[in-house]
Amino acid sequence: MTDITDATVFIVDDEPAIRDSLLLMIEQENIPAIAFESAELFLAACQPEQLGCAIVDVRMPGMDGLQLQNALNDRHIQLPLIFLTGHGDIPMSVRAMKAGAIDFLTKPVTREKLLSSIRSAFMESGKIHTEEVNHHDAQSRLSALTSREKDVMLLAIQGFTNKEIARQLDISHRTVEIHKSKIMHKTGAINLLDMARIAHEGGLSC
Amino acid sequence: MTNPFQDVTSQTLFDAVLDAMLLVDESGRVVLANSVARQLLGYPEEEIIGLEVEALMPQQYRAHHRHYREAFNKNPEKRSMGSRVALVAQARDGKELEVDIGLSPFHAGKRLYTLVTFYIADKRRQSEASLRISEERLRLAKQAAGISVFDFDSKHKTLQCDEQMCRLWGADYIEQLNNKRFSTLIHPEDRTARQSELNRVSDPDSNREYHAEYRVINPADNSIRWVSAVGKMHFENGCPTRLIGIAHDITERKLLENKLQRQRAEAETLFTQQVASQTASAIAHELNQPLAAISAYSEVALHALENDTIDQNSLKRALEGCVKQAQRAGGSLHELMAFLQKGDLIRESLNLNEIVSEAVNIAKSNGYGKFHPVLQLEPDIPYVLGNRTQVLKILVNLLRNSVEAMHDSGMPLSTITITVRTNTNINMAHVTVQDSGPGMDPDTARRIFEPFFSTKPSGIGMGLAISRALAEANGGQLWLDPSSDSGATFHFTLPFAS
Repeated sequence: MTDITDATVFIVDDEPAIRDSLLLMIEQENIPAIAFESAELFLAACQPEQLGCAIVDVRMPGMDGLQLQNALNDRHIQLPLIFLTGHGDIPMSVRAMKAGAIDFLTKPVTREKLLSSIRSAFMESGKIHTEEVNHHDAQSRLSALTSREKDVMLLAIQGFTNKEIARQLDISHRTVEIHKSKIMHKTGAINLLDMARIAHEGGLSC
Repeated sequence: MTNPFQDVTSQTLFDAVLDAMLLVDESGRVVLANSVARQLLGYPEEEIIGLEVEALMPQQYRAHHRHYREAFNKNPEKRSMGSRVALVAQARDGKELEVDIGLSPFHAGKRLYTLVTFYIADKRRQSEASLRISEERLRLAKQAAGISVFDFDSKHKTLQCDEQMCRLWGADYIEQLNNKRFSTLIHPEDRTARQSELNRVSDPDSNREYHAEYRVINPADNSIRWVSAVGKMHFENGCPTRLIGIAHDITERKLLENKLQRQRAEAETLFTQQVASQTASAIAHELNQPLAAISAYSEVALHALENDTIDQNSLKRALEGCVKQAQRAGGSLHELMAFLQKGDLIRESLNLNEIVSEAVNIAKSNGYGKFHPVLQLEPDIPYVLGNRTQVLKILVNLLRNSVEAMHDSGMPLSTITITVRTNTNINMAHVTVQDSGPGMDPDTARRIFEPFFSTKPSGIGMGLAISRALAEANGGQLWLDPSSDSGATFHFTLPFAS
């Protein structure tokens, strides 16, 4: 896993002057920034767990901005995107926003607008990252459970009593109690509610 | 048994006959004339009795008839009774009548008399029947061809026309359609053009062939029909007397024509709009990129100055970026202008009068709207030097502009006056295009040549900007007359070829 402490702005634009001026502007805020002259080059360098955001020109030779957005989605790279366009094309902006873009900005963009978009994108990126971390954590806790314990856990978080669980799985009441105590121990859940949260974050379902 | 007719005189019997009869003696003088004959020939009894029969026919037949009569008298028996011969009679007032004559010679005592019968009724019946047939044939032919016939007496301003024509004008009876009503039912927009065509053929030096197309408003339902009228003006002693011609309902054709013209104009506008929008989009992209970079660089520099965190290198990079991008934008514009002015501009000697007439025809057929062109040409103006297509384009653009301006303001009569003359002050050809529209306010007049400036909802605002560029590319100038108080007046100049 790469170093994910530094949130970085990636600038993807075929126009050298745009790349250069935006780099200067963002670096002036002490935010790390890297520029790419094509969507293909950026895609090749992009890591799944990357923190930060990408500022992407809509109109580029080769792969364009919207195609890059699709390619990132296909690879489950959840990096927030800010689109830049020469002229506000409404249908295009709607498509981009529906596909999860943070913003759709028109060139020339003001410093204020761009930085505010970058800030929103960074918050979104942080949120995505936290969810990822929790997901991995919950998954590793769930991985210690046996399949019988997972069955019991699923029934328990749906609100069934020990008696009902025992009848459904055709085991004794006492066995259900033992499974439940083992589940609490292995997942570190402190109560039934906590157990339900871990099951949700870890993607456990019936 | 007594004869009930013994008291009846031969005169009474004579007068009772329906055909005109004369009794002539062997010297050829009228002895008796019945009342029908007197009425037909227009003579009172005292005048016709004793008259030589030759006096009852036109001069040119008299001598011949005398010989004929003498030959007849010598051998009357050879003529069978009642055989008929066609003759021309002359009434007392000089009017000539075509008649069939029956000659019945008989002897009374020793004298030879001839009873002359005029078979007028038969003759009239025959001619009436043949007239009816020919009229019926004509009516059927007119109906089949959808043609109406009119006869306009231009001296007395009276109009005669057939049923079909009356129906077009919404009149049930011919009496309803007098000349005044005829004119008032013509569409107001078409009256002037029709009147000027009428004036044209009223000139004996014209070709006298009348052709006008105009709309007729049916007063019953306000429906509009298009009529094409073709005719010939007749003259007497150099004065126009009658215009006889045919009228034709051409509504269907006109509707189709208008539809085609509209579609053509729409397609042309669409194409121009597309080209303009693509060009504008290319220009926008070319300029927007450096502008976006300049904006970002400038804000970096500004922010550095405001926060006293001046990093010399970054500031230098930002300002250098600004300069470079501003120059790049300028360069793009120069390239674009060079591209637009590229192309083989072939300049040739042109007859400006011909070009003006051609432009009028193009503008008329392009469906921008109707207008009435008034050309004031200088017949012997020297040839100008210019690109034929571009000069045409300038004129067509100006005409289109005027027609649309007048049309938008609801002017019923759109007159455009085009003047071609030599401007001796600058030694150039000088064309003026003046419309009868509402003119324009000072703000519009100031901006009228700006690209993308338009007062029309569908306009793209390139017409006048392009026209001015074309006039300049051809070595001339194009401007709007600021002092014109009626309508808009545009001027442009072109250099002479020599």
